[in-house]
Amino acid sequence: VVIACPGPVTDLVESHDKRFLFVACACRVYRVSSQLLESRYEPSSRRWRDEFLSIFLAFAEEGVLSLLLVGSVLLTLSQRRSSWTLTLYGSSDYEVLRSVSLASGVVHNETGTRRRPPLTCVRSSAATPPPSASSSVSDGCLCLEPILFKRLFGIDAALAKSPVVLCGLPDGRLCFLPLRPPGSRLAVLHSLEQPVVFVGASGVTDNGRGHARCLVAVGEQGKVVLIQAEKGGAEGGADRTGFTEGCVPGPVACGCVDEKRLYYSTGSDLLVLDLPEESPERDGPSVEKSRVTHAALQSPSSLNVCRVLALAPPTREVELLGLSARGQLQRITLPVDRGDAGWPNAPSTPGGRGVRDLLSAIGDVCERAAALKAAVKSKNQILRRLNQVLNICFLLTADTNTGERDKPIGCRATASWSRLLEEDSLTLTCVLDNSSPYVLERGWTLSVAASPLSGPPAAGGQSPSAHFSFPFHGLHPGETLEVSLPLAAAGQSSLPVTASCSLSFSLAGLLGEEAAALPGLQPGCVSLPLNTLTVDWLHALRVTSPAHGKTPPQSGNTSDAIQAFLRSRRMGCGGAAEAGGERGRHAASVRVSAESLRDARALRASDADAPPDVGLSLLEWLLSEALGGVSAGRRRGDGNVVVAEGRRGEEEETTPTAVEVQVESSSVAAVCGLHHAVLTRIQVPEVTESGALSFSMVSRERLLQRIQQSRVSGAFGVGVSTGTVCQSLLSVYQELRENPLIVI
Amino acid sequence: MHQPLSLFHKWIQENNELVNKWKVGSQQLSVDHYLHMYFISLLSFPQCPCPAGIAPIADHTQLELTVVYNAGVCLIAQSQFLEAESLLTKATERILQMTGDGPFASDPPVFWKTALKSVGNTALNRCVMHLLCLQWAIWLATCKLQTIQELQLLSVFETLSSGVWDEEGSAPRTKSSDIALPVMDQRRLIELLQICTFIAQGAERLSEGRSSEALSGLQSASSLPAPRTLISYTHLLSGSCLAHMSRPQMALQCYRMALETDSQCVCALYQSMLIYRQLGNTQAEIQALRLLHSTLMLPAAKEPSPAGVHLLPSSLLLQSQSLSSLLSVPSALSVLHSLALKCVLHERVAEGVEYYLDLLAALHSEDQHGVHAAGPPLPKLPELYLQAGAALLMARRPADCMALCDEVITTTLELLPGKVVLKEPEECEAETRALCEEVEDGVGMLLWVGAAYLLQGHCHTHLRDWKQAVTTYTRCFNLLVKVRFKKRGDADMMSMQGTDLCILQRLKGLSLAGRGISFTQTDQLREALRDLQLSIQAFPGGTGAGLWCGEVLWRLGRKQEAVACWERTWSFTPHFSELSLAVYLQEPQSGPLLDSTELRRRIEELSPI
Repeated sequence: VVIACPGPVTDLVESHDKRFLFVACACRVYRVSSQLLESRYEPSSRRWRDEFLSIFLAFAEEGVLSLLLVGSVLLTLSQRRSSWTLTLYGSSDYEVLRSVSLASGVVHNETGTRRRPPLTCVRSSAATPPPSASSSVSDGCLCLEPILFKRLFGIDAALAKSPVVLCGLPDGRLCFLPLRPPGSRLAVLHSLEQPVVFVGASGVTDNGRGHARCLVAVGEQGKVVLIQAEKGGAEGGADRTGFTEGCVPGPVACGCVDEKRLYYSTGSDLLVLDLPEESPERDGPSVEKSRVTHAALQSPSSLNVCRVLALAPPTREVELLGLSARGQLQRITLPVDRGDAGWPNAPSTPGGRGVRDLLSAIGDVCERAAALKAAVKSKNQILRRLNQVLNICFLLTADTNTGERDKPIGCRATASWSRLLEEDSLTLTCVLDNSSPYVLERGWTLSVAASPLSGPPAAGGQSPSAHFSFPFHGLHPGETLEVSLPLAAAGQSSLPVTASCSLSFSLAGLLGEEAAALPGLQPGCVSLPLNTLTVDWLHALRVTSPAHGKTPPQSGNTSDAIQAFLRSRRMGCGGAAEAGGERGRHAASVRVSAESLRDARALRASDADAPPDVGLSLLEWLLSEALGGVSAGRRRGDGNVVVAEGRRGEEEETTPTAVEVQVESSSVAAVCGLHHAVLTRIQVPEVTESGALSFSMVSRERLLQRIQQSRVSGAFGVGVSTGTVCQSLLSVYQELRENPLIVI
Repeated sequence: MHQPLSLFHKWIQENNELVNKWKVGSQQLSVDHYLHMYFISLLSFPQCPCPAGIAPIADHTQLELTVVYNAGVCLIAQSQFLEAESLLTKATERILQMTGDGPFASDPPVFWKTALKSVGNTALNRCVMHLLCLQWAIWLATCKLQTIQELQLLSVFETLSSGVWDEEGSAPRTKSSDIALPVMDQRRLIELLQICTFIAQGAERLSEGRSSEALSGLQSASSLPAPRTLISYTHLLSGSCLAHMSRPQMALQCYRMALETDSQCVCALYQSMLIYRQLGNTQAEIQALRLLHSTLMLPAAKEPSPAGVHLLPSSLLLQSQSLSSLLSVPSALSVLHSLALKCVLHERVAEGVEYYLDLLAALHSEDQHGVHAAGPPLPKLPELYLQAGAALLMARRPADCMALCDEVITTTLELLPGKVVLKEPEECEAETRALCEEVEDGVGMLLWVGAAYLLQGHCHTHLRDWKQAVTTYTRCFNLLVKVRFKKRGDADMMSMQGTDLCILQRLKGLSLAGRGISFTQTDQLREALRDLQLSIQAFPGGTGAGLWCGEVLWRLGRKQEAVACWERTWSFTPHFSELSLAVYLQEPQSGPLLDSTELRRRIEELSPI
């Protein structure tokens, strides 16, 4: 009879009297009579399924993963939202006897499939009637030697002669729950730190008493833990429970133990591990002993059977039952004497099938070798790329630490107006320049985040910022990458805009497609900041591209765009400016002392000889300078927007003492924006050129000195009347008023 | 116009069908179904179906709010409080926006205040109030009593329940198919919330020490209409308040009332037991313990609850820490253990033995009944075995006692460490929590085995098997000397009381005394004298050792010394009561005894000379 269960079956146990089969499936537990399975009754499928649901349903249990029958108690292990729950049911009336939960830890389960957590029952051999000779398994319980049992599970459990339920959770914890005395808690025995695949007991030095001396737990990634009672040395050192950990090459799909050996399948091979014999008589130094143990744990030998999914322990001395991924039930004959030849015998079956088996074994080995080779190759590739990435990371991070040196990888940008789809927009063209010795390979992305420095708050309350990312396919040393991104349409930009460039690398890209497809993978990402560029009003007022030379061609397209841009600003500040006409014009000016201008490096460079017209050169510099990485074309003030004039001083005829840059427009927004732009540019050389005194630094110093003097004299009152102090302060104030740095 | 109306009716129909199905009893499934239906219908339902008329809008919104109410109840019943809260606020906001009110504060109390104000006295008022009730339930379940107090929900709804609800009683009679049914009657919900709030507040105040304040609230709550369980809680908490105010008799009255209201209220029994213990009324305490145990062993009877209440059980609304600690009752086994111990200590040995045997049987049975309750854990199993053994010996069943002790010894002996160092008390204190808590520490196990040997020795003494007794006592003593400890300068018994060191010394004293007494019975007086003197040294104040030491001296002819020894023993006042020691560490009652009057007569005979 074939029974179709309503969902994937997670576990299956047989009752002790072999009359029933308990099936855990889709949050329900069913009880199926074995007689029915053996009968020849052939039901019609559809109705049968419904009947199955109703007749055999024992109870519902959310997230049930494993079942275990201990005496008259049916245990279920289930995974709820954030906890593991072990529930005890009476196996006759399915009444919940008890339920114990344990908060679930981090589950190292990348594949997302629900594996059946191993659930076994352990008894102390002292507590059971002498079992039938050979097997250490009685009524489904593993029988453990009393001393180990007491050490592990406590005296209470031993006194109560209680069976103990052991469960290996997918988060790596090995937990136990004594069924008696009532009220005992679920406790953690050990943590494997990887999903537990198998828990068993091995009678390593089983001398006919029928109990196991060693508990074995195997993790998914190949960690093997042997738990044994260790005798203390002769000097009376404390007896302890020994947890011996070892690692075998994983991944382990399933396992089983017999008296001396652990068999496990990695999916591609079936391996045998000799469990180290821990003889209590040998009181060697424990270090040496543990070394022996470790050595033994690291040398599994292969049986050359692949794709085994489930194993049953040897029923006879030399036979193992295995279920392969292809659905074959295999009887695997174990090599009897493995000492005589270096190789274990391939699974041998009687008669002339030997050659065929050998061939298939060779095929399996070939298949495995090819797969391994490919895996190694791809891993090498990935490591090489990772090396490049790390080099670049160090290069860029080291530079930020040493200051604003020119980075070997940097970003330059140009702002320009372009017309696209009947709409003018300000475009920022970024050029990524790779002058480092490394190749920026596939997987790197240039991301630019453009956010206005100030602007109307967006609907959400946070300032609007636009992110652009440009993945590229390799940038060799010396190459450049040019990308352009729209900053704003003419109508709706809010300048100035900061564009922060960064290089980012996604680790997910490194792993390739198959890794990226995994659902639970957190995409790791390395992000390295490059430079931050500011695009301000002066850039937006650019008329020509720098390549066109000195004479502005006044291309209609660009100036139209600028006009539109300016108009939109005016609109923004209401109709008052338009109505006001000439009277509504706003102006702002910045005065810069000629000395500081002369000292400024930028001007010196452009006007090496012939004392130039300072005002003109300043204007040219303002509109052309490349600070901050954004270059813009120069432009003559067209009267409407920018007026700069060099105001000659009185003392000298040839060179003016100060230059006044005047910004004048009918739009407040334009004035403010431009004023801000001009100020930031003038302030930048002040910072960079520490030697040069900019603005009226000298006079400021002088004024401060005078204030200081008057305060000192005022405080001591030596020979100076209050009137004179007032006088001097007044003069300071007047001077401040007369030489304003910024006049609006 | 026709289209939305038919949708409207269809919707009502669907809702009512679900509610009715619910009430009939198909349970878990319909919760999910219901939520699903709600969200789908919310999407399909137009926000403003008929802008022209006012009445349709009111109908629609009322219907929508009822559905929101139902969905909210479902969510709360499934403990999805966050989801329920956001659903409530979103729905209310939506409705209020339809009536044209502006944005609302995100702070819940402020939000609801403004919401209520803006609804005013319109027809929507009641619906919004219902949603507020659900919000109240959420606050209650998440223990935000402060917020409930802030909004004065109790007084708001008290006035409401007297006025508005009466009209409602007549309203639904119009046409049942036109009205969307609520999944839980709102009036029931409000009643439930009121009493639960009183209870939670009372518990909170009680735990903060404001007993009298709590008492007044609880007293007024006890007259509210509510399920029996909750009423009994109010009595119970009143009792606790009174007990805190040191009025034990009034507290007992309250507990009695709680029990009369709800016979399942085991907590009241437990609390009265505690009061009897506090009052020193041992017989009453034992009686209360017995009642408590038998009540705990009863299968919990299911009280039929009025329809709808089972949806939101009061346990869901009463989750505060302080309340659950007030309501906690130790497990049946733990009660049985204290019952047995009390009986043994207070001269009801035969009963006590029976209880101990019941307890051991329960511990070995597969039956896991009655262990769900939290509370003080049972003592470790060996400890229980030893106590039971001592009780059996007192009841003159030495063979059974020996068997129990044997079990302890065989299980524990092979785990004993080779040598044990006993830390000084204060030294241990620092590490106590970390190390000494370790389940089977060496010292503890060693003391168990020692005590088991001691009990066996007593058994042999009882059976007058002196030779065997001497061997067993010797085993015990040999085990005990394995423990090393650095003795502090002034190790007085007071400070040692209850520590491992004290137990160790006591065991040493008793085993030596036992061996000494056994020697006297076989006329090995020298050995006897040595042992008895060592015993007095190890643990001053052992009556048996002192008296027998005098006896041996007397027999040896050192009569003056003997008299001095006896008088010293009689005049010795123990620093602590014997009761504070474990029952198996008390002086054996079953061995050969010396008659004090006889001794006094001898002294008198001696003194005239």
